[in-house]
Amino acid sequence: MSRKSERLVNLTIALLATKRWITKSEIFATIDGYEGEAEAKERMFERDKDDLRNLGIDIEVGTFDPLFEDEAGYRIRPENYRLNFDQLTSREFSLIAMATQSWRGAVLDSSALSALVKLKSLGVDSDLDAIGASAPTITASDSNLVTVIDAIAQRRSISFTYRGPELEDQNRALEPYGAGTRAGHWYVAGRDLDRQELRLFRMDRIDSEVLPQGKNQSYEIPNDFQMQTLLDFHTENLSAVIRVRRDKAHSLRAISQMISDDDEWCTLSYPYSSESDLVRAVLWHLEDAYILEPASAVVSVQKALNEIVKIHG
Amino acid sequence: MLDLVPFITTHQGIALDELAAQFQISQTELLSDLNSLWMCGDSRFDLIDLEFESGFVSIRNAQTLNLVRSLSPQEIISILIGLDLIAHNLDSSRTDLLTDIAVLRKKVGRDMGRSIEALPSLSSHTAELISQAIAQRRTIECQYHSISDDRVTTRTIDPIEISESDGIYFLKAYCHTAGAHRTFRVDRMKDAKILDRESKPNQEPTQSSTTISVAVTLVREKRYASETLGRTLSGNESQVELSVFNQAWLSRTVIGAAGAMKVTSPTESRTEITSLATKILDLYR
Repeated sequence: MSRKSERLVNLTIALLATKRWITKSEIFATIDGYEGEAEAKERMFERDKDDLRNLGIDIEVGTFDPLFEDEAGYRIRPENYRLNFDQLTSREFSLIAMATQSWRGAVLDSSALSALVKLKSLGVDSDLDAIGASAPTITASDSNLVTVIDAIAQRRSISFTYRGPELEDQNRALEPYGAGTRAGHWYVAGRDLDRQELRLFRMDRIDSEVLPQGKNQSYEIPNDFQMQTLLDFHTENLSAVIRVRRDKAHSLRAISQMISDDDEWCTLSYPYSSESDLVRAVLWHLEDAYILEPASAVVSVQKALNEIVKIHG
Repeated sequence: MLDLVPFITTHQGIALDELAAQFQISQTELLSDLNSLWMCGDSRFDLIDLEFESGFVSIRNAQTLNLVRSLSPQEIISILIGLDLIAHNLDSSRTDLLTDIAVLRKKVGRDMGRSIEALPSLSSHTAELISQAIAQRRTIECQYHSISDDRVTTRTIDPIEISESDGIYFLKAYCHTAGAHRTFRVDRMKDAKILDRESKPNQEPTQSSTTISVAVTLVREKRYASETLGRTLSGNESQVELSVFNQAWLSRTVIGAAGAMKVTSPTESRTEITSLATKILDLYR
């Protein structure tokens, strides 16, 4: 371990033990390791503060006398530093322990592990068997996910190359607000800095390493932001009338409402989110399904089929 | 290193190797950390009294540092995602646990909760059952929806291994119904159960399976088309060569792509696709 971590531990102890604000000059005088020119010490201290804040340690800044432009003082309040889990039941503890274990070997393993160590330090035993549920396994192996999650936690911008609809490279800069999964894919959402809009990106379509840029705490996540709402973008709020052959097209039937059941064909009401999705889903079933409504989708299907005949004929 | 102090405080006399294992670091790293900690502290604040020469670690006088540090945002996120997955795996009758998780999400997650939302791609029930069958060398029976021939059939299979790709789980197995080795998508398996019959997944196929070599050109919507074919292409590429097990899957994929991809060879596949597309057009007359 380096002198740097020694300095960080000593800085933490000093800021934590003090009941009053302590100034930078007091810090430089009492803690070993702040050496060199005034400017170098200054820079070192700024970096150390950032490092501690990245560890989730809340350093407060204040002055002795609000009336004067006094030298700033620093301290860490023990009540902010301390893990406050007094009100947790032992079952809640066990659930958290189980949650951390689901990361075994996956990309957030080290964060999950350090969280678990903290829980154990509280001296409470978790009893996984008592819950009667099994720990799921998270298989995320995309190392970009760690960068994205760190950036969300630190509110820091990121940039990356994204594969566009025609496989073109798009350079994106994003203030990430949230991350989540749907249908087996990880997504990151945030404000696209070029388009100045909330956008959603599928992580496996990111073609480069995700790079953090700029400073921490450089933006706020809007109060009304909800990752869940954004991920439910594929809501099937339109409905088509389609016909499917008897005992065929199981995947269309599974999500449709039956309108009428005739001899050879059934008429179904099929929910969909976009016309291109509807066209693809029905075409997949070849001669076993066709669209009655909407008329625009019927035109699209015929156009697509004529094109297929033309390019393969 | 800050987290060592409270852990040792509640686990006085813990052996060095055990402590290293808890933090998943080597004993050398641990010793170096402990040596530094021993140097840390200051008579004005905190004189840490650390003892570890005996091979067992104990600590006294660490009043300041012995607070367990609050969770970092990364740690909170890792817990939130884990909790989400536990919740989605639970049977809906376990309202007790589901309520606990909802409460915990608020207590632990504070403001982070709305940034994170994870859903598992698969009910762990089927995956667990398969793992169990592999471990016990037992045969599985299930309902399988084969999308290439659009049929739900009862399959008897001897599982070999589960793998994951892009969040989708696949099972390699010997399929008695098909008389050959097959790869199944776990999310299309329903009503799986373990049979009391020894599994012999390495047997010789009774039917030989042939593959067709196909060349496909991506015409437009190239990202969608390449993902459908399971290929990662970069910007200027638009040719894909692949081996497919059956023409049915190829025809459905190409026609389902609604003109976004074109088969260039073999000729038989092109003829088949043209004939199918013409028949579908007849449905609209």
